[in-house]
Amino acid sequence: MSAGGYAELHCLSNFSFQRGASSADELFKRAREQGYTALAITDECTLAGIVRGWQAAKAHQLRLIVGSEVRLQDGPKLVLLVENLRGYQSLCGLITRARRRAGKGEYQLFAADLEANCEGLLALWIPDEADDANAAQWLRELFGERLYLAVHLHRGADDTTRLARLRTLAAQLGIRAVACGDVHMHSRGRRALQDCMTAVRHHCTITSAGRYLFANGERHLRSLAQLNELYPGDLLEQSQVIAERCHFELSELKYQYPREVVPPGQTPASWLRHLCEQGLPRRWPDGASAEVRQVLDKELALIEELHYESYFLTVHDIVDFARNQGILCQGRGSAANSVVCFVLGITELDPMQHHLLFERFLSRERNEPPDIDVDFEHNRREEVIQYVFRRYGRHRAALTAVVSTYHAAGAVRDVARVLGLPADQVDALAKCCGRWTDRIPDAQRLAEAGFEAQSPSLRRILVLAGDLIGFPRHLSQHPGGFVISEQPLDQLVPVENAAMAERTVIQWDKDDLDMVGLLKVDVLALGMLSALRRCFDLLAQHRGRHLTLATIPSEDPATYAMISRAETIGVFQIESRAQMAMLPRLKPKTFYDLVIEVAIVRPGPIQGDMVHPYLRRRLKQEEVTYPSPALEAVFKRTLGVPLFQEQVMELAMVAADYSPGEADQLRRSMAAWKRHGGLEPHRVRLLEGMLRNGYALAFAERIFEQIKGFGSYGFPESHAASFALLCYASSWLKCHEPAIFTCALVNSWPMGFYSPDQLLQDARRQGIEVRPVDVFYSEWDCTLEPLVGDALAIRLGLRQIRGFTEADASRLQQARQQRPWRDVEDLCLRAELDSRARARLADAGALRGLASDRHQARWQVAAVQAQLPLFADIGSAGEQAVALPRPTVAQDLVADYATLGTTLGPHPLSLLRPRLRALGCRSSAELDSVEHGDAIAVTGLVVGRQRPGTASGVTFVTLEDEAGMVNVVVWRDLAERQRRALVGAQLLKVSGRLEHEKGVRHLIARRLEDVSPLLQGLDVRSRDFH
Amino acid sequence: MLWACILLPQLALDSVLRERDDPDTPLVLIGGATQRRVLQAVNPAAARLGLRAGQTLMAARALADGFTCVEADPAQVEQVQQLLAAWAYRYSAQVSLHYPRALLLEVGSSLQLFGPWPVLQARLREELDALGLRQRIVLASNPVAARMLANCHDGLALSDADDTRTALAKLPINKVGLPTEASEAFTRMGLRQLGEVLGLPRDALARRFAAGVQLHLDQLLGLRSLGLEFYLPPDRFETRLELNFDVESHQALLFPLRRMINDLAAFLAGRDCGVQRFELHLEHVEGPDTVLKVGLLAAERDATLLFELARGRLEPLRITAPVRNLRLLAADLPAFVPQHQALFDPRAQQAQPWEQLRERLRARLGDEAVQGLRAEADHRPECAWQLASQGASGTLQAAADSRPGWLLAAPLRLSEADVQLLGRAERIESGWWDGGDVRRDYYRIETREGLRGWAYQDLAEPGPLWLQGWFA
Repeated sequence: MSAGGYAELHCLSNFSFQRGASSADELFKRAREQGYTALAITDECTLAGIVRGWQAAKAHQLRLIVGSEVRLQDGPKLVLLVENLRGYQSLCGLITRARRRAGKGEYQLFAADLEANCEGLLALWIPDEADDANAAQWLRELFGERLYLAVHLHRGADDTTRLARLRTLAAQLGIRAVACGDVHMHSRGRRALQDCMTAVRHHCTITSAGRYLFANGERHLRSLAQLNELYPGDLLEQSQVIAERCHFELSELKYQYPREVVPPGQTPASWLRHLCEQGLPRRWPDGASAEVRQVLDKELALIEELHYESYFLTVHDIVDFARNQGILCQGRGSAANSVVCFVLGITELDPMQHHLLFERFLSRERNEPPDIDVDFEHNRREEVIQYVFRRYGRHRAALTAVVSTYHAAGAVRDVARVLGLPADQVDALAKCCGRWTDRIPDAQRLAEAGFEAQSPSLRRILVLAGDLIGFPRHLSQHPGGFVISEQPLDQLVPVENAAMAERTVIQWDKDDLDMVGLLKVDVLALGMLSALRRCFDLLAQHRGRHLTLATIPSEDPATYAMISRAETIGVFQIESRAQMAMLPRLKPKTFYDLVIEVAIVRPGPIQGDMVHPYLRRRLKQEEVTYPSPALEAVFKRTLGVPLFQEQVMELAMVAADYSPGEADQLRRSMAAWKRHGGLEPHRVRLLEGMLRNGYALAFAERIFEQIKGFGSYGFPESHAASFALLCYASSWLKCHEPAIFTCALVNSWPMGFYSPDQLLQDARRQGIEVRPVDVFYSEWDCTLEPLVGDALAIRLGLRQIRGFTEADASRLQQARQQRPWRDVEDLCLRAELDSRARARLADAGALRGLASDRHQARWQVAAVQAQLPLFADIGSAGEQAVALPRPTVAQDLVADYATLGTTLGPHPLSLLRPRLRALGCRSSAELDSVEHGDAIAVTGLVVGRQRPGTASGVTFVTLEDEAGMVNVVVWRDLAERQRRALVGAQLLKVSGRLEHEKGVRHLIARRLEDVSPLLQGLDVRSRDFH
Repeated sequence: MLWACILLPQLALDSVLRERDDPDTPLVLIGGATQRRVLQAVNPAAARLGLRAGQTLMAARALADGFTCVEADPAQVEQVQQLLAAWAYRYSAQVSLHYPRALLLEVGSSLQLFGPWPVLQARLREELDALGLRQRIVLASNPVAARMLANCHDGLALSDADDTRTALAKLPINKVGLPTEASEAFTRMGLRQLGEVLGLPRDALARRFAAGVQLHLDQLLGLRSLGLEFYLPPDRFETRLELNFDVESHQALLFPLRRMINDLAAFLAGRDCGVQRFELHLEHVEGPDTVLKVGLLAAERDATLLFELARGRLEPLRITAPVRNLRLLAADLPAFVPQHQALFDPRAQQAQPWEQLRERLRARLGDEAVQGLRAEADHRPECAWQLASQGASGTLQAAADSRPGWLLAAPLRLSEADVQLLGRAERIESGWWDGGDVRRDYYRIETREGLRGWAYQDLAEPGPLWLQGWFA
């Protein structure tokens, strides 16, 4: 304890949302510079920022004291400081209780909570002017000698009197007073930002925030000289005494895996080995090869060495539950590199068939837990989540948090609003920032939007917003990252309510968990898995064939032929426009080609200038060469072109002498450099290593640039492989069982890229019969009805009717099982349909068996009235039939789209065809006979608009007509000139030049014309700018 | 009876546009929640950019740049509607604002006064055009039909029920003012024109639709009438007292004045309103009236208070010519909000209520001489302490005794040798947002003479002490 030293015991970081105006890193850096001996982070009723505090403490070599500021509902304001591990657990428990009983983002803590649980905590009492003696006495009894009186001196109106009063108070109570700063920012310079945050918190402008603002900027980490001037020496000294008392370190936290995954009499290691042995014959019915066994042993040994058995057992337990419930799932990403995951059924991809790096998954050098992502069927994932809560209990399982931070637009918006800019200007200014960027717009961009960048008020806004960027804003829940532990979670980390009911979230995010060594399992949702499971069910039902992801016939030439023709609507991943444009050129013939296809059409490789080399080499337009024989092994499978993160890691190992652990560090830095920088050390090291190993500088430089390109979007090979498996499986089903495939996709919607309308149109173009919704035959889901031979027709389900509910459908199906419908009234009454549901059925044409047309159906359902049972058989006879106009074909079409979102009648464009022909438009079916470069015009429904960030201002428009789709390319200047037609049209006429190249067809637009009025109110929905 | 409907399809937009002189600037009216702003109306220039009512502001911004956004203001529209009703009242005693954005006028009785319908119609249009309001006008045999026909017609004039019915029958079913569910149901039954619906058997309709639907159809045809509320012009108070002799002194005017004020107070009480301003006209035998305007800061209706005020204004007046009659006129009659008073009012008999004193002072000393003080929530002392036309209670942020009660208009430079600093500095750093950032250390000071004051040192530019106020 040095004389004149000081430890700050009351300090908020920016995790006290809208209060603290500095990050933990800034605070620790400053505290260290000022010569403090320790710094407490005491965010208000939260430990969400404590791991960052710990990181900052380590980085700046200053001791962290863990604590929290709380205001009791029925008592005074306190700072609670953690003295020891027990105290940490008390604090987590208190925060959990206070947060769980309040709404999201709020807390309620009562005196009784403290009475029940304050062991190991020190309390600094912050007396109000109004605090009475009762509060003091209560605190004194509760905390005893662990109670201190906090003295905040901030150069207020009368510090002298205040100090004297507080010292007297402390003396009366027999407790010690201590100097505290009530720190809200690291330096005085953050005063303006702190004022802004205060106004944001109170939802007012800065000028009306008067009474909420602090009178001066004293709430920062003040110099020792200033503190000595303000505080008596004994109060400063006391801060160090208290700091010495608090000896808790976050490293003392000991996480334990759940034990129930290991049966009695087994150790985690023996049980994991047992399960693996059990799984081996399932994966290799003919016996596992010696190589498999060798790899398995190696993995198990490493897992045992790192004590990760329970983690694998936990994931296995969840996957096992899903499998027993018939929920399709697949482990993804780095887990796919492991034989253990494969035999446990966590992944579906045979790692022995692929060249994948185990180090990417687990590494001895990296003291970081593995991270397995498992995808589940999107509409059944909730069952899995609820299972986890049930099995481990809410107190032991919770979701991970995601810290939402300020991006440029949000920061500008908040600051501009509190500085009193009018709402539309706030919008305009935020719009200048674009989405998801962390950079303040430059002067030119501002000038274009009509702002004067040099005006003082705008400069104030931009400077403050710049400081705010990256600040945490609130906690939200991770989509599926679970933390499960043996001991109650609230002894490790506080737990709070999520925005969704029935969910609880811990206060730490993924990176925090890594730091503290907690394990996370990602339970994610994937729509394609829902569709595939439905496919497998339908296959079993209609074909008696039982397939799984792993047993779908592999390397089927017919499937690859279909993919090469780009007939991939509905297929996983390769259904997007960019993918479909690539397929006829790449012509995949093997599974590995699909892995590459999945990875190649990404923003990253384009930026890194790599797609074209691969394609050129693949099409034999360029010679395949390798920089060295050693790298040939690394790059052979991608024809010498680096495509995957794993290859970069291998390259670093082979060419620059990285160890596997170091190579993984490189991968992590790649992923993070845009946000945090930190790639420069690797640059030096890579270049030196490669030069040492005899590579040319130019080559090394190029490789490094490519690595940087990877950073933002880089795709791991293991990830691509997992996706490629789903892509292959869905393609195979589409190729061999198109009716089943379409039916399953439509039933799994919303998912994927295309609407049910487009999927069904596609199926009908392939000759699949689609039958209308009909109350005599339809179930909730679409179903399949056998035709002659082994063909199947799709019967549309009641789910297609907009506004019709599943509960209505299930009552309808039950009543239908008893006996068929007699008439409309019989249906409405027995199925207990309310007037809204009846109207939906009538309008959708589902009553076709009971009424002559839609109009009559609607007329009849309107007359149905609930009847007394006595008169049930009398019916509605006696009313004279009324002649209503019959619907025209066009009216039926409009009604189909309005009620079902699709039509089984003629395509809207076929009705318009004569008029379109008169306008000089061709149908998409005629385009095959058009020469490359010819000028033509087409008209179609706009079903998609896309503006990829990489394609320098190009807009891709997809038009649909009765024969298929036409891809339109709209260059930037045309898009600007004809923005109105481009953005607004439902039916668009495009004149331009047709380009054919290697099976890919584009119409390069020269003129756009909005011809939507021809549709006369047809409701067709486009998928725009996703 | 004959009913005219004047439909103002763009009332909200026109109310904004008529106050601007840039008709060619694209302009849109926006409304809705902050998260999802929606275009409520667009002017022709904006429509040429492809903007449409109903678009979200976000979509509009994606479509076009450089249009002006104006917040829709329902209060303003309501005001214009009231104004229009008052205007229409000149042409008909039966004017109704039953439908929003529309005026209904019974004009059958007006035609004798204003000429045949084409003449009256032309006059209405001319005046509306002058007001900058686009309009559609339809004449029909009942008000509901007139209103609904105006959805699809402009200038239609149908003087008898048969013609009205014929025109109605051709209206699209979704334009006749039926509830959305009903009009949608008719459409879905294939019935697209009102005529088709009118052809259905009544019992079949009754079975299928709520009673309101049949009622509305009957009202359209004039078979049943719609209970209309008619516009009443706002009240005003006017009274005139003939004095029967010429008065040349104030004193003699006070008594009649008291009587008139009492009448006014009774009138106000009856209407449950107060008076904010009134005029006293002294009518002379010759020459123009002397007009005395009495204005209050808040609406009042207490007879004594009102009389005191009027007397305060009357007494300083020099009466130039004999007064023959007195006339009192009050048109500004807002709602009266009484002050809560305790059951046992502790005020002594002679004490005047503060409001009365305030008005009296203003009457005697002039409006500008009486100033209020207002506390603003701002840490900068000069901002926290502000003169205002009307005082307001508010809390200063600092403890009351830490600030002088009266601040100097501008700080005075002090010579440090002359004063002694008392106690520690109070630091104030605030106000960066409006360019008036202050960073100061404040001290209580005492001069050699024993005067106590409040002075600061500027932290940004250290220098002399500046005196900002004296303690009492």
